[in-house]
Amino acid sequence: MSMLEIERLSVRRGGRTVIDNIALSVEPGEIVGVVGKNGCGKTTLLACVAGVLTPRDGRVVIAGASVWGSRSERQRARRSLGYVPEGADPPGFLLGNELWSLCAAARGATPPSQALRDALGLDELRDTALERMSLGQRRRACLGAAFVGPPKLLVLDEPDNGLDAKRLDAIVGLLKAHAADGGATILASHDAALLDQLGARIHAMRDPSPTIQSED
Amino acid sequence: MTAESTPRAARAQWLDVWTRAVIVPAWRRAAAVWVGTAIVAAVIFGPSAMRASDLTGLALHHAGVGGALAVTWLLVFVPTARLLVRAEGAAYLRTLPGPTLAPIVLAAAALVALQLPWVALWVVGEGLLGLGVVGVVTLAILALASFRPPQLRAKWPGWRHDGEALRAIHVRALRRRAGDALVRGAGLSVLAGVAAGLFVRNNQLAGLDAAVVGASVIAIVLVPAEVGVLLVILTTHRTTAWLAMSLGTSRVTRIVAVVYAIALVQLAATVIAIAAAYVVTGDLRTIAWLGGTSLVVALASAMGCARVLLAAEDSPTIAARTVVGSIVVAALAVLCLGLFGEVGIGAFVATSALALFTTPVATPERA
Repeated sequence: MSMLEIERLSVRRGGRTVIDNIALSVEPGEIVGVVGKNGCGKTTLLACVAGVLTPRDGRVVIAGASVWGSRSERQRARRSLGYVPEGADPPGFLLGNELWSLCAAARGATPPSQALRDALGLDELRDTALERMSLGQRRRACLGAAFVGPPKLLVLDEPDNGLDAKRLDAIVGLLKAHAADGGATILASHDAALLDQLGARIHAMRDPSPTIQSED
Repeated sequence: MTAESTPRAARAQWLDVWTRAVIVPAWRRAAAVWVGTAIVAAVIFGPSAMRASDLTGLALHHAGVGGALAVTWLLVFVPTARLLVRAEGAAYLRTLPGPTLAPIVLAAAALVALQLPWVALWVVGEGLLGLGVVGVVTLAILALASFRPPQLRAKWPGWRHDGEALRAIHVRALRRRAGDALVRGAGLSVLAGVAAGLFVRNNQLAGLDAAVVGASVIAIVLVPAEVGVLLVILTTHRTTAWLAMSLGTSRVTRIVAVVYAIALVQLAATVIAIAAAYVVTGDLRTIAWLGGTSLVVALASAMGCARVLLAAEDSPTIAARTVVGSIVVAALAVLCLGLFGEVGIGAFVATSALALFTTPVATPERA
């Protein structure tokens, strides 16, 4: 069974077709890198996979459960994923440990392990409000939240934004370990070197307007 | 523009921006206080009740009354004063060259002018002596507004499920984002209780009649107290949306968290108001009636206000809709209580519950 199955996905935003009839599958242990120029729909695709954005048409299935299916299916699908949006913008008043505790409570998991906290340097962010963190720190806090569980599928929108070299190496290590444990990752990035380091399968997106295009 | 007039024009422009960044937000916050105090004043100083000098005289000769009045005003006005004293809205402006004395003078003038209801009460009531009282209280306000409490190390939350986590997050948002609104609300709650108590006492009401009238007064006076808090709850509801959706948290769980946060605020405000009403009436039996009725009205109002917020969730005129919605909920409470008495309490609860349960199901951002 695929970890992620996207079928005939179409999305319109602001009167424009952003994604048109996309199909994509991600297998357990696989890392898929979504690439393409600005505005081609990478962020929209990942938001649809994470269940934050409703597609106009098509299906997104995570670990056998449809993201837009029945109530129990929806819940099962979403509890199988960890999402970091492009903006990494949870409520600014939350402290780091409160964000991780929320994700742990929702997934029925324990707070981040010591290994995860060490890899991402989460302990120094524990008592800091997200609004007081730098972009890189906020990204680390959100990555920590995404890894809590850990979920079967990671959906990461430009996870490398604002990270220093040390933390970037840590992310590569964590994602490879996650894949080795049978987890899957779909991430959007402009960093070809990072995707190469991860050994990611590349899914190139093209701007679907004005003509209708199909991918994969 | 001449070379000579340029610095002056630049200073004027700086001061104009500073005024919009500091004075205007403070004025907006003070406006809610003025509305609340106007409602209370209408009740206290109505034709059959007291004059300003009666109240100020009582405050000067009875330490308890004077202390309660001063503390109430401190609670009500310190949040507004913080905007003027700390001037955080103008932090960036301070990095630019600009006048130093003018903003201090303007802030000091605004600190007194925005206390208009308080100044009017004391000047009308006691003349020059009243001005002295205003001066002393203003110094206390200045000290409290300048105080910054030390930050404590947070505990690791032990939330067992997402519903509990969301409710706790709403409470944290209230504490961290609505601190000023809560302090102001506490002050207005005292005023609401005092007004309700005076209304009941001066009209020699008892039992259910006292409860219906008192609960109506409390419901009206609490409107300006709750609006600021409601906006914080709505912002939290909106900013946690993507997180909750991606975590599989159901919409019902999110709505329950919103109702919980509003109910918490409404109940706390009502308890404060009831305590203040007891101080005024001193009649335990009447307060028992008033307390029971007001607490039920508060719970029903929480459901009604939750419906207002959820309906305004995606609206660009969210603040206006929240204000109007809160007034409508309070008006409905007064109408139900006034027209139908004890049956009206049930009618208000049923209407609010129905309004909440029929909230349209919103989908995530439509593609």
